[in-house]
Amino acid sequence: MKKSLIAIVIIIALLTAGGVYESFFITKQFKEMNNTFTALYDKIDKEDAVEDDVIAAQNKWLEKKKYLHAFIPHGEIKEFDLWIAESVILVRDGKWTEALSKVEVIIELTEQIPKTFAISLENIL
Amino acid sequence: MIVTLIRTLIIFITLIVIMRLMGKRQIGEMQPFEFVVTLIVADLACIPMADVSIPLVYGVVAILGLFLLHEIMSLLEHKGNFMKFIISGKPSIVINKDGVCLSELKKNDMDVGDLLESMRSMGYFNFDDLDYAIFESNGKLSALESDKDKPEKTGMPLLIINDGKADKSNLEILSLTEKRLSELLAFQNAKIKNTEVMTVDENGRTYIKERNKKYKILTLPVKEQAV
Repeated sequence: MKKSLIAIVIIIALLTAGGVYESFFITKQFKEMNNTFTALYDKIDKEDAVEDDVIAAQNKWLEKKKYLHAFIPHGEIKEFDLWIAESVILVRDGKWTEALSKVEVIIELTEQIPKTFAISLENIL
Repeated sequence: MIVTLIRTLIIFITLIVIMRLMGKRQIGEMQPFEFVVTLIVADLACIPMADVSIPLVYGVVAILGLFLLHEIMSLLEHKGNFMKFIISGKPSIVINKDGVCLSELKKNDMDVGDLLESMRSMGYFNFDDLDYAIFESNGKLSALESDKDKPEKTGMPLLIINDGKADKSNLEILSLTEKRLSELLAFQNAKIKNTEVMTVDENGRTYIKERNKKYKILTLPVKEQAV
């Protein structure tokens, strides 16, 4: 009985702490990525972005994704990689309209992915 | 491949720890919820183990969640007979001294053929080989062999006190009240709350195990009061 109670308390504490940490961590990481790519979007919109700007944003993402792998399905991370890689080429070639649409998708992903971790009926179902 | 190997190792260690914490019963005789846990846990362990696109934490959290449920169920089961009945069901007496009890078999979605099959696997081929047969809540058949030379010798023990609490439904079967039980125990200098286990069969043969004492076998005058 005592062992069970201790086990229950420890596991509830672990899962609660893990859940809270996961929620804060993911929200924080994607908020930062959202700010980075929103700034990049504005630069592309003004047509004064250069390849290095996108590469800087890509490096920031690469740094963050190492830790995000622990929580996010790897398929979604791969999606980010592909969209960013495409943006690098499009900005380098000065294809601003196409680059804008790619970065817009990335911004949308930074908003949508954290929502999939929220406790909501749509996520539970 | 190395990644899969490491994931397998982590899941394997998690499962071993959880199984050890669940105890030996988990591997052998299982209660229904334990059986469910065992069924699900195998799948939960395999999916993140084999699919590298799923974070390992998903599998570990799900297994920990199952363990948590298992422990909560076990605790609730020990809370009282009602919760035990809700979670695991109750044993069913399918053969008594009057013979096979078809209504009990039907309640358990079984027929006489199923009963015979279970009896044969225990080495009994005739219904009259047994005085009592009980399908336990874990699905196993327990049998009390009949002594054909002394038909009165055997009697099925009923659990009267479990961890200091009297079982009212079993008291009723023996036509005893809690007050009468206290009086009977008082003759033995015992009290209900200090008694860990007490069983009484229809012949009055009583097993009493008080806290921190050796068990005693007595004959209590309960048969006379039986309905």
